[in-house]
Amino acid sequence: MFKIEKKNINLGFMPLTDSAPVVIAYEMGMFKKWGLNVTLTKQNSWATLRDKLHLGVIDAAQMLAPMPIASNLGLYGQESQVISPLILSRNGNGITISTALYQKLLAHKNNTEISMPFSANILSPEIKERKKEGEKLTFAVVFPYSCHYYELIEWLKEGNIALSDINLLFVPPSGMVPSMQSGDLDGFCVGGPWNAKAVREGVGVTGVTSSDLLQDSPEKVLGLMSSWQSKYPQTTLALVSALYEACQWLENVPNRFEAARLLSRACYLDTHIDVIAPSLLGSCLTFNGTTPRKVTSYNQFSTLDDPEFNKPALNCGEKIADLMQECGHISTKQRTELSIANIYREDIYLTAISI
Amino acid sequence: MKKSTLSLSKNNHIKEPTAKLKVLLAENNHVKAKALMDVLTNTEYDIYHIANSGVPLLKDVEQLNPDVIIIDIESPDRDMLENLNKISQFAPKPIVVFSEQENDKTTINQIVKSGVSAYVVGDIGQDRVKSIIDVAIARFGLFQGMKQELADTKQKLSSQKNIDKAKRWLMETRQLSESDAYNFIRKIAMDNSQKMDDVAKNILSVASIF
Repeated sequence: MFKIEKKNINLGFMPLTDSAPVVIAYEMGMFKKWGLNVTLTKQNSWATLRDKLHLGVIDAAQMLAPMPIASNLGLYGQESQVISPLILSRNGNGITISTALYQKLLAHKNNTEISMPFSANILSPEIKERKKEGEKLTFAVVFPYSCHYYELIEWLKEGNIALSDINLLFVPPSGMVPSMQSGDLDGFCVGGPWNAKAVREGVGVTGVTSSDLLQDSPEKVLGLMSSWQSKYPQTTLALVSALYEACQWLENVPNRFEAARLLSRACYLDTHIDVIAPSLLGSCLTFNGTTPRKVTSYNQFSTLDDPEFNKPALNCGEKIADLMQECGHISTKQRTELSIANIYREDIYLTAISI
Repeated sequence: MKKSTLSLSKNNHIKEPTAKLKVLLAENNHVKAKALMDVLTNTEYDIYHIANSGVPLLKDVEQLNPDVIIIDIESPDRDMLENLNKISQFAPKPIVVFSEQENDKTTINQIVKSGVSAYVVGDIGQDRVKSIIDVAIARFGLFQGMKQELADTKQKLSSQKNIDKAKRWLMETRQLSESDAYNFIRKIAMDNSQKMDDVAKNILSVASIF
C-alpha cells in the first residue's frame, strides 16, 4: 500500500459510456481499497473540466487522450503541465449518419442496404448533388482536440472526401441526436451512449466505429497536473492502481453489463441501459430493428493478451501528436519540440502496477 | 428570441458612434437569465437572451452576430461556443463565462488565462460585471493578433497613473480618442457609483492578465 498524502480526491468525469472505469472504481470499492476517499464530480463540458483541472478545483479527471498534449502546448489558453499516468480506454466512438441521408445514399446506389463498416466514399453522390445547389452535408464532433475529430478526418480521408466538402460543427454530445432529428446534422462522430441512442430512436445509422478507423487508439486518459503529482506522488500511484484495477474488472463481459446498470443511474449518465449496454458488450447498433454488428473492441478498458493496454506508452502519445499535426492542430515546430515522455508518463504507470 | 434593455447615452459608444454592442446571453434557466439581464439594464448594450442549446443556439449566434457571448460555466454548450472560431463560416466571438460559485480573485485571474475572454464569478449582481464585459471585448480584440501591440503598450504605460493607464489602454486597444476613453471610464464610474480610480484599477486588473 501507499503512504497517502491526500486522502480526499475530487475526480472530474464526463457522463459518457467510457467513464465506466471511474464509476466502477467508485462503486466497486477500488478507490477505498487503495486508501482513497474519492468524490466523483460530473462535468458538462470539456472546457470547464479542463479549467477546473488547471486550477485545482478538481484533483484529477477523465480526459480526452489529446487534451494533456493540448494543455502542455497551450493550444486552448495558458500552457499547463498536465500529465497522464494511465490510459483508461481505447476505441468507443462511432460515426452515425441520419436515417434520411442513409435513405438517399441507398437511392443513389439503387440498393437496399450498404455493407458495414461503410466508407465515407458512399457520401460522394450526395455531396455532388448538394454542390449543385451550393450546399454541403453537415457533420459534428464534440471537441476539436479529440479522437472523434481525428477519426472523422481519417474516415473522410480514407473515402477520398475532403474536409472542405462538408460543414463541420462542434456540438455538445447531448445536442447531437436532437439536431440530427431536426435535420440540422447529417452525421456526427461521438462516443456512447449517443450513437446507440440515435439508432434506437430511428434517427440515425451507425456505420463505422473507432475500431474500424484508428484501431485501439487511446480514447480517455487519467489527467492530472504535473505539480499535483509532485506534491502527492504516493496518492497518484494509489489513484492509478485503483483505476487500473477497475479497468481490469471491466475486461470481463458479464461485469460490463453490471457497469451498464450502474452507469444508467441519475448521478452518472442518467439514461436508459438500452443505449449504454450495447457498446460495452461489443455490440454496435447499426439500424433500428436490424441485427447489431459485432464489434468486440467497441469499448475497451483492458485486455488479457496485452499487458501494456493501459500503459501511456511513448508511442501512443507520439501517434496522437502525429494526428494533431496532420490535421493542422499543431505546427511542425511544435511537434518537433514536444516532449511526449513528460506528458504520457509511463514511468508512473510502471511504478504503480509493480506494487 | 427575446430582446430587452435598450439604453444609450452619448459618451459610452464603444466601436463607432452609432453602434450598440450586442450581447448574447445563452442561458436555459430563465431565473438566472433574468438576474443577469437586470444587471445589464441601462447599459450601453443590447441584450439578447437565448434559451436554445446545440445547433439551434449556433444558428441564433450566426443570425444575431453578437459582439460578445455570455454563458454559464456549467453549460454543455460551452465547448460549442468556445470553438466557434475553429469553424470557418463563423467569426470568432469573445466569451464571458459566469459562475455562481464564489472564488477568490486570483482564481478568477488564473481561469481567464485558460482560454475564455473573461470569467464572472460569484454574485452576478456585482457592479464589476459591466466593466468586465467591456474589458472582455477589448481583450478579445487583442487575442486576434494584437498581442505584440499590447506588450508595447504595457511597457509604455508602466510608469503612469491608473486612470491614465486605463485610458491609454482603452485608446490603444479600442481605437478610442482620448476624450472618449476618459468618458468611458467616467461613465462606468457614474453608473456604478464608483471612483474613477477604482474603475481604472478594475480595467487594469483584467488588462494585466495578458
